[in-house]
Amino acid sequence: MAIIEAKDLCKTYVVDKRQNNVLKNVSLKVERGEMVAIMGPSGSGKSTLLYSISGMDRATSGEVIFDGKDITKLGESELADIRLDKMGFIFQQMFMMKNLSILDNIMLPAVESKKNASESRADKQARAEELLRKLGIIEVADNDINEVSGGQLQRACIARSMMNSPEILFADEPTGALNRQSSSEVMDELCKLNAEGTTIMMVTHDAKVASKCSRVLYIVDGHIEGEYVSPAANTISDKERERALNNWLTDLGW
Amino acid sequence: MFLRILKKDLKRKKTMNIILVLFIILATMFVSSGLNNVITVANGTDYYLDQAGVGDYIVITMGENAVGSLDDMLANTPEIKSYRMENGGMGGRLEVSRDGGEKVVFENMPLFQDYDQEGINYYGADNEILPNLSSGHCYVTGSFLENNDMEPGDHLYLEGYDIKLDLIIDGKAKDALLGSDFMGNTRIFLSTEDMNKFTSIEEFTRYDMGQVCYIDTDDVAAVAAAVNKCENVNFSESRSTIKIAYVMDLIVAFITLILSVCLMIVSFVVLKFTITFTITEEFREIGVMKAIGISNLKIRSLYLGKYLMMAIVGGVIGFVASFPFGNLLIKSVSDNMVLGNSLGIIPNIVGAIIVIITIMLFAYISTGKVKTATPIDAIRNGQTGERFAKKSRLKLKSSKANAPSFMALNDVLSSPKRYLTIIIGFALCTLFVLVLVNTVNTMKSDRLVGTFSSRADIYVDNQSLSLRNMTRTRDEMMEFINDTEADLADMGMPCRAFLDYQYQYPIFYDGQEYAIKIQQGCNTTMDSYDFMEGTVPQNKYEIAISPVVSELTGAQIGDTITIDYGTEKIDCTVVAYFDTMNNLGKIIRVHEDAPTDVSAVSGAWQFQISFTDDPTEDEIIARKDKIREYLDVYDDEVQTATEFQIKCLAVTDTMETVQNLLLAITLVVVLLVTILMERSFISDEKGEIAILKAVGFRDGRVILWQVLRFGIVALIAGIIAAVLSIPMTHLCITPIFGLMGATQIDYVIDPLKIFLVYPGIIVVMTVVVTFFTALYTKTIKACDTASIE
Repeated sequence: MAIIEAKDLCKTYVVDKRQNNVLKNVSLKVERGEMVAIMGPSGSGKSTLLYSISGMDRATSGEVIFDGKDITKLGESELADIRLDKMGFIFQQMFMMKNLSILDNIMLPAVESKKNASESRADKQARAEELLRKLGIIEVADNDINEVSGGQLQRACIARSMMNSPEILFADEPTGALNRQSSSEVMDELCKLNAEGTTIMMVTHDAKVASKCSRVLYIVDGHIEGEYVSPAANTISDKERERALNNWLTDLGW
Repeated sequence: MFLRILKKDLKRKKTMNIILVLFIILATMFVSSGLNNVITVANGTDYYLDQAGVGDYIVITMGENAVGSLDDMLANTPEIKSYRMENGGMGGRLEVSRDGGEKVVFENMPLFQDYDQEGINYYGADNEILPNLSSGHCYVTGSFLENNDMEPGDHLYLEGYDIKLDLIIDGKAKDALLGSDFMGNTRIFLSTEDMNKFTSIEEFTRYDMGQVCYIDTDDVAAVAAAVNKCENVNFSESRSTIKIAYVMDLIVAFITLILSVCLMIVSFVVLKFTITFTITEEFREIGVMKAIGISNLKIRSLYLGKYLMMAIVGGVIGFVASFPFGNLLIKSVSDNMVLGNSLGIIPNIVGAIIVIITIMLFAYISTGKVKTATPIDAIRNGQTGERFAKKSRLKLKSSKANAPSFMALNDVLSSPKRYLTIIIGFALCTLFVLVLVNTVNTMKSDRLVGTFSSRADIYVDNQSLSLRNMTRTRDEMMEFINDTEADLADMGMPCRAFLDYQYQYPIFYDGQEYAIKIQQGCNTTMDSYDFMEGTVPQNKYEIAISPVVSELTGAQIGDTITIDYGTEKIDCTVVAYFDTMNNLGKIIRVHEDAPTDVSAVSGAWQFQISFTDDPTEDEIIARKDKIREYLDVYDDEVQTATEFQIKCLAVTDTMETVQNLLLAITLVVVLLVTILMERSFISDEKGEIAILKAVGFRDGRVILWQVLRFGIVALIAGIIAAVLSIPMTHLCITPIFGLMGATQIDYVIDPLKIFLVYPGIIVVMTVVVTFFTALYTKTIKACDTASIE
């Protein structure tokens, strides 16, 4: 069953009276529990697709059905509520509130949300600490955001995105600003979350990262050029999965 | 290339740059006009008195056969170098009305004079000496036109001594001697032809004419001692005292000057913040420029060039605006005085240059950061990676506040330096408003009435009654008082009636003679007056002196001052100090048994009535009408203690206007500072705002965070200002009252206004302006997270 579905999604930017059609009638479905990667060359519209489908940006035309509703028709406040309670976001730039500690940054969406209104502040704290523990960064809970490494900060961002138990997690180049070690750790965490049932849709340039996903969409010049379904994880090794994906990408001109 | 970078920078940061230029304009306007006004006002009174030719010592005589009473003294005092004399009629027995027969209002007893025989120069609104008058025309002085809502061209009708004159008011004459609000005597100048109609009547010349004498001397003390021996002297003071009489007018000018300085400081602080902030914000551009090998000097000169351009544009506009603004600030003073300084527009030019240099200095210091910036800053978003102090102050886990409130409070507590500029600016502006609120409240109360005479429920301020009282012997006065008390008691208003007299007697202390007025009550006892220190005088051998007299003579409690009453010379012991604003504090209060005589009376205070049946305030107001009918005087001549005090202080309304002007300027500053700061903060926090939206914060919640943050800051500023307002009122305003003789002021502090209304206005203004400015955050979208540097 699809958790989110895009139908004929178009996005056009007008710069200096010139139209730039970034997305051209893109249609796709993401099934509940899937982990989908969007790949493509720079400027192909990957991030625009992610932001349009997640409601962070308004599509010029087309529909996005999430939870049975066309979210392109919703107002800003309704979209904000959906983002708060049902969606999670991770970005390449690890933005957090400068004046708050790591723990407070993570607790913030839970405090703002009315989803668990009866939950006490102490319970929210316990939940945030549990997430930090799970992501292996409990020791930096009380640190300021610039007292931690990039990998720790990105894991903190993942924790924040998971705080309200979202149905789907959108990630835009989540490992883009990280070194190999941190990147691998972050991907392991995302895979764990997916294994626990969270749907994930991510944009990446990294074939190694994309190879961990169950499906890869290749986008070129505003439309989906190809779709790759990875073999089941237990059938081949990680290396083979990566190689197979690379071969597919090479065929598409990557 | 630099020009292109500059052009792009100016365009990209349009709002910030516009506000920065606005502040440069404001700063230049305040500094230039402030500097000019400081010089003008500081020299203002001397300049005016010199231009008018007031001289060094001034004597006014009135009463029976007053004309000529100074002649012997003038002829036989060698210290007098020259003098000028004006003859005038005291208007107590003249009916003065306007079209429709309505009586006009005078602050104090008016003087009627022949303009052709002027002893000093009188100026028109254009600061030119007024031309002579033709028959049927007149000039008026002081605030007469404003008080009566009249204007040049209106008619004035003079009636008395079987003469009726229909006069057209040609305009207002600026009167250096009596034109100040504190002196408050209106002069009506007539043509020689019209004046002769009165002077040809013997009754007028004998009883109602007096003289105003302007004496030039190098030895004021000797002249004062000589004048002391003359009869019919109603007023005699040195030039320095006349200068003090302008203090109330100058207070307004000085307050506006202090305000200018205050706003200047705010402008500079904001400028420094903005420049530093802009430079800090440009770490990436600076880093990139360094990375491609552009030298520090060139990078720095790029920004310096930008700020120089803005400083020149703002400086020129501010310089031009400083003239109308400066005139507006000292308008109330220039209405009564001929103000000017020999430096012309030089102070304004200097002021503008000071601002431009200061801005460039700030810009130079702030651009010093360019030297420390490295290409790495461009990569690391300006973060060095080093951190030594904890930033977050509050913990969400231990807070019950919602997310926007928590973030707002935590921001203020975590980065106090960032908000200090706003707090200082707002607190300073609010503080000045509150100090004036306390001052105006006090001036509008009856708190200072005891510094004029004994406290009473009703004050009757009728010129002819005062004139009659001045000529009554003590027995005659007591008879009038007894009759009045009896009649009012019959009318259901049991009371005690009384008044204060001022006398002119030679005073001696430590071998020197002084011209100090003596004040004595009629039908009063000494315990009905307020004393600051010492014991109440018990007999004619004990006196109380004001701090001004103590300072003038050096006499203190326990010392002996000799008063020559004519009939006997009495050595009096100083037993108490008392505060008085009469005669600018130069008063000695003597016991009711002191042997004073009507021939030495130089003035009679308002006829006062104190009810003995303890009526309510409403009842007192109701009784005013009955007393007005009984004494056959006009409505506004029967006053409550508060009304009497407002009338005596003369500038209460002006002060209230200044207070409102100050509030308006404060609100403008709050508006500009808030817009500037909030836009700076939004620009700095774009990433955080975008991420908040990305995690699901609604626009309204983001705006609430921003608004609450400024609300907290304004609240802190308001609390600081409210707490400091009481000591600051004492510190700033008491010395000004001190110049007029009142050294201990019990201010009226209205907690509602001080702690709620005025800080509330500032907080509400801040919140409203922040709200509208924060609407800009709506343009920042969740997806901007990906594109923000």
